[in-house]
Amino acid sequence: MITFENVSKAFAGGVEAVKNLSMEIADGETVVLLGTSGSGKTTTMKMVNRLIEPSSGRIFIDGRDIMEQDPIELRRKIGYAIQHIGLFPHMTVGENTAVVPGLLRWPQDKIAERVDQLLAMVGLDPEEFRDRLPVQLSGGQQQRVGVARSLAADPPIILMDEPFGALDPITREQLQNEFLDLESEIKKTVIFVTHDVFEAVKMADRIALMDAGRLQQLSTPSDLVANPANQFVDDFLGRHRFQLSLLTRTIESVLPELLPEGAEPGPAEVEPRLRARSSLIDALDMFKHTGRKSLPVYQRDRFLGNAQKERLLKVIAQILGETREPS
Amino acid sequence: MNRLADFFAKLGPEMAQRTYEHIYLTFVAMVIAIVIAVPLGIYLTRTRWPKLTTAALGGAGVIQTVPALALIAFIVIIFALIALPTIGTLPALVALVLYALLPILRNTHTGIRQVDPSVIEVATGMGMKPHQVLFQVELPLSLPVIMAGIRISTVWTIGIATLCGLIGAGGLGDLIIKGLRSIQMDYLLAGTVPAAVLALVFDWTLGGIEKWLTPRGVPTSSEG
Repeated sequence: MITFENVSKAFAGGVEAVKNLSMEIADGETVVLLGTSGSGKTTTMKMVNRLIEPSSGRIFIDGRDIMEQDPIELRRKIGYAIQHIGLFPHMTVGENTAVVPGLLRWPQDKIAERVDQLLAMVGLDPEEFRDRLPVQLSGGQQQRVGVARSLAADPPIILMDEPFGALDPITREQLQNEFLDLESEIKKTVIFVTHDVFEAVKMADRIALMDAGRLQQLSTPSDLVANPANQFVDDFLGRHRFQLSLLTRTIESVLPELLPEGAEPGPAEVEPRLRARSSLIDALDMFKHTGRKSLPVYQRDRFLGNAQKERLLKVIAQILGETREPS
Repeated sequence: MNRLADFFAKLGPEMAQRTYEHIYLTFVAMVIAIVIAVPLGIYLTRTRWPKLTTAALGGAGVIQTVPALALIAFIVIIFALIALPTIGTLPALVALVLYALLPILRNTHTGIRQVDPSVIEVATGMGMKPHQVLFQVELPLSLPVIMAGIRISTVWTIGIATLCGLIGAGGLGDLIIKGLRSIQMDYLLAGTVPAAVLALVFDWTLGGIEKWLTPRGVPTSSEG
């Protein structure tokens, strides 16, 4: 568990980047620090591995004050991935991935084995990519290596500073999905910085929305969208509110309203199927792509009912009515 | 052909001796200059006093603006005042080292400063100690720039070392001065041609060393 206790950071020159921040991040949780530039989100993240040290207040990891730990030891137990260039240009993909295990003096054969395992984990064939240089990779491949490298020594905590920020939208979405899948398997505590509210909603267990150094709201994505804590949060979501409320609402949550009246014999179609955990946007997309009027909803392999396009549109219209800004 | 044979019969042994002295002067001066300027350049990127950086780079720059001949003269006079030898290898080496400092110092400083700060931050964030950041990240990435400074310095030093003949330090300058005093083209050529060849050979050798040291993925100075 990571605990922030009344943490403030003032830089030389008097800029207060973070003001009296308190929050707790549970083990295995992904907390997204969301905000515009200058909101203090990156400063907050960098205080966890002591790249920046707090001016006042304390930060604990599993009950131990990080200021009482050796910063080098501390950092080697925390994965770190940053936007864009992050990789060492003079080291191969394999060498980049092996940096932290090397610093921890793992035996060579164990490092080699781990590197291959990690590259395979992020979808890069070790045989093909191990000896390549960063310049010989696409942006998406570089970012995969960045993620692999941050996971190298199997740290319980990972800090990610806009790790997918420099990618085109399609690659970005692909990497987000892969990271979500990966994260659900390896269960790390992740602190993820972004300015993109859609990315935040997608990646987060909880979102910490920051502005001018202050934590404005810390809650689950759906709660953030449904119950903004103050005017700032409301304004920040702004015109994306409608889209976000469709994104944060799952089919599961409105399922009764989507099903036809009367009993159903079974799935109207075998394929394609909707997953109960998908968002209403995904559902809308799938109706559009398939041209069907009815799609079966499954929770894993359990059939839940046939969602009707007509009814989905009605639900969406209803949400639109709720979220329309008072004019 | 005969003339060439005569030329070498007359001047060959002396040319060999003077070339050896020239290489010796250049080599020793460069080793000392590198040992001083590279660590100093690294230190200047880390000092908390930016004025020190300005002062050191400025000082090395001022030395560079003094004509080489005048610098040698100054050193001889200063050495005379403090009762150190005024002829021979010592004053010559001091002049050569002072002259060689600037390009190495400046290039080491700028080379390390131009390493992308986000790369250094990520190295620190991953748990590298300061010396590991220096040796595993900053130096490999700035090596081409540092080597370019060393190459420039070396070529200059070979040229300036010819002036050291004036204060009895030997070297190819001896032959050139002899040629000048006696108005004999033979001597002049016997000093000049080997000096030019030396400059080329040293530059080429250092280029090879640079290529060998520079990690893949970092462009060498000649590749830009």
